[in-house]
Amino acid sequence: MNVKEFVQKLNLKVLTEGDMEREIKDCYIGDLLSWVMGRAPEDSAWLTVMGNINSIAVATLADVSCIVLTENASLDDDARKKAEMHDVTILSTEENSYNVAVKLSNLI
Amino acid sequence: MRELSLNVMDVAQNSVRANAQLVTIKVEESEKNHSLSISIQDDGCGMTEEQLQQVIDPFFTTRTTRKVGLGVPLFKMSAEQTGGDFEIKSEVGKGTLTKASYVTDHMDMTPLGDINSTMSILIRCNPDIDFVFIHSTDNGSFTLDTRELREVLQGVSLDTPDVVEWINEFLEEQTRLIYGGANN
Repeated sequence: MNVKEFVQKLNLKVLTEGDMEREIKDCYIGDLLSWVMGRAPEDSAWLTVMGNINSIAVATLADVSCIVLTENASLDDDARKKAEMHDVTILSTEENSYNVAVKLSNLI
Repeated sequence: MRELSLNVMDVAQNSVRANAQLVTIKVEESEKNHSLSISIQDDGCGMTEEQLQQVIDPFFTTRTTRKVGLGVPLFKMSAEQTGGDFEIKSEVGKGTLTKASYVTDHMDMTPLGDINSTMSILIRCNPDIDFVFIHSTDNGSFTLDTRELREVLQGVSLDTPDVVEWINEFLEEQTRLIYGGANN
């Protein structure tokens, strides 16, 4: 499944648009950025509540397919700008990370 | 990072890469004031104003192996997420001062962690650089200054096993004293 289909199936809000055709092959949940940095698998959807500029750097470094800000966690302005600059897709939902992961696991 | 001592290790490594001869690390804790401040000062090559702006940007790094450098940005975030402050000052040819202050009773406070191990590793892995470590609490403070150790050691390297063991014991004993003995 690609990012575009993921958005449609889970009715997610698109905050920034990167490569929407990119495949999602895995999922990772975590908010401690230094931890996520070395552990989030490539091509995964990363579920977090951390919407700051460092999150964008971690997403780039781990090469995830998209960031999903769960529970309507906010996205800083700086972070939004950097995400647009680096083509990082950021999605948002009011659901918590567990629920999103459960739904995602049935789709990949 | 899971422990602030890992941030200290990371920033101190930047000092080493900046060819510092002396690195001073201060940890000031106050339970009364719910505060903790950590500073790392070096006499390394320093940075220009432009480099200084870049270093707090996670998309900047002097390393060529990857395009992202999160050491300083994560240290900054760890302080700011508790309602604390972060500053970094630098002058070319003089050195760099990095200081993080924390509000320790905030829910998002990261524990200090094993700062003694961090100091021990830094000294052991960089035996040609001098370190001054000052740790204080409401009960008192202590200082470990490798320049003083060198005077006594008369040429014996700081990474000699007996010296390392002495440093570890000194740090442990002094820490117990400033924590009032109850926590250890």
